[in-house]
Amino acid sequence: MVSKNIILAAALVGVLAFGGEQFAMSDSDRAMYAEMLENNPADMDVESGSELLEEYCDGDAGLAKFLGVSEDALPNYIAGFPRYIDSLDMVAGLDQVIQALMVQNGHKPFALASADMFSMLAYSKAIANDEKINIDVNANKHMKEAIALGDEVFNTKRGGRGLSCMSCHSPDVIGSILRTQPLPDLGSVENKAAATWPAYRMTKSSMRTLQRRFQGCMNNALLAVIPLGSKEMVALEVYVTEQAKGREIAIPGLKR
Amino acid sequence: MRKSLFMMITVGMTLASAADLRSAIEVPDASAIIAKDLLGPAKQFTMPKGCITDDKDAIARGSFIFHNLNGKKAKQNPPTGLSRKNADGKEKQYGNCVACHNIEGAKGGGNIGPDLTNYQEYFMKTGTRDNVYVYQKIADPRIDNPDTHMTVNLTTGLFTEREICDITSYIVSIKK
Ligand code: HEC
Ligand code: HEC
Repeated sequence: MVSKNIILAAALVGVLAFGGEQFAMSDSDRAMYAEMLENNPADMDVESGSELLEEYCDGDAGLAKFLGVSEDALPNYIAGFPRYIDSLDMVAGLDQVIQALMVQNGHKPFALASADMFSMLAYSKAIANDEKINIDVNANKHMKEAIALGDEVFNTKRGGRGLSCMSCHSPDVIGSILRTQPLPDLGSVENKAAATWPAYRMTKSSMRTLQRRFQGCMNNALLAVIPLGSKEMVALEVYVTEQAKGREIAIPGLKR
Repeated sequence: MRKSLFMMITVGMTLASAADLRSAIEVPDASAIIAKDLLGPAKQFTMPKGCITDDKDAIARGSFIFHNLNGKKAKQNPPTGLSRKNADGKEKQYGNCVACHNIEGAKGGGNIGPDLTNYQEYFMKTGTRDNVYVYQKIADPRIDNPDTHMTVNLTTGLFTEREICDITSYIVSIKK
């Protein structure tokens, strides 16, 4: 908990140090951010995710069993998601694994976009807190295909304004200002997106997941929003996760 | 409890293969959505006659498109000849150019693209740029720079030729 706060505080200083009148964070925003560093509202979602996982999936043990690993090995294994999952014969996000596990346990799975699923995902990923992201995009041909597809989707210009993710997240524009917002480096120690989502999003007053964050960017930039859990969405997650490889997982994150 | 045990058995029997289990979870298709949303190839446009104007209303429209995101978000009402909604009732998108460019009177202007302040003085009078260049840049910047990070505004059909002319007229106009 303490180390997580230090990381967040460092990230915050990084953001605020950017300074200048172009930056949009007001003093009251700043005060709220500081308060939330102490007490991330999404901790409650994680807590409720823990209870739901217990109820529907037999908790950590059930998850470990489904994934075919010991409970001791679970954190490290989760730090490698999205992964190729044999029993699904596809590269899956952790939320899809939870759905499959719910089905196997005789339950109707929560929708990927539901708050309950966001909570379960947040808890499950938090099992890997302090582990370093260890995704292996060369593990097998499925992962190789996923990273290639993710690269393609990230670079495909589309939508009402002809933009791609790369238009705003390529190395040559990182740090530039888009309407008062510095463009984040998705893989940097400060942002490490894949290691810090699910996160509490202050501007949305709720916890969001990484794929949900992608949808936010699509929506803002007028790209047609693609659904959670689609092959392309999971591939994007693989691509963005690879950028934060080796970074320590700290869930739930706290974002502007 | 008994019910879930029962379901577990039936589900366990029906979900014999990976394909079965996969079909019980959400794996929606996105490829069709993306295919429909793709951007066409870079297009060279001809600037229409009478495009660049010092008509006040045209410049006001160009300015409004430059500084605003869409009909829903715009704080002020759009000037004559520009509406908040499209014919189909959906909110109209504006340029949000200010997100990437600073210019006279910009609020929270970005710096991903060049500063367009004093454009007439710095870019036009020096002969570095002309109207045709600016028009094409806004219509489809890929002709000038295939790797551009800028938005594509006419090839995408987001704006009409006339609107591109209004925006261009605004940028090259002398501002107070
Ligand atoms: C028009 C510019 C633009 C486009 C296009 C865009 N983004 Fe973003 N993105 C941003 C900005 C600006 C932020 C930071 C916003 C903030 O701080 O609230 C951001 C934030 C993010 C974050 C969160 C970073 C963090 O700190 O955790 C992720 C992840 C992300 N974008 C992914 C994507 C993906 C994937 C796409 C393409 C589908 C995309 N973006 C397209 C501008 C863009
Ligand atoms: C997502 C960022 C972004 C947005 C939004 C954007 N631009 Fe640009 N613009 C750029 C970049 C980057 C350049 C630099 C040249 C290039 O890459 O094409 C540029 C270049 C230009 C130039 C050429 C300046 C010169 O003389 O060198 C003009 C004019 C221009 N933009 C106008 C606009 C207008 C008008 C809009 C809105 C309809 C707009 N831009 C929206 C990023 C953007």
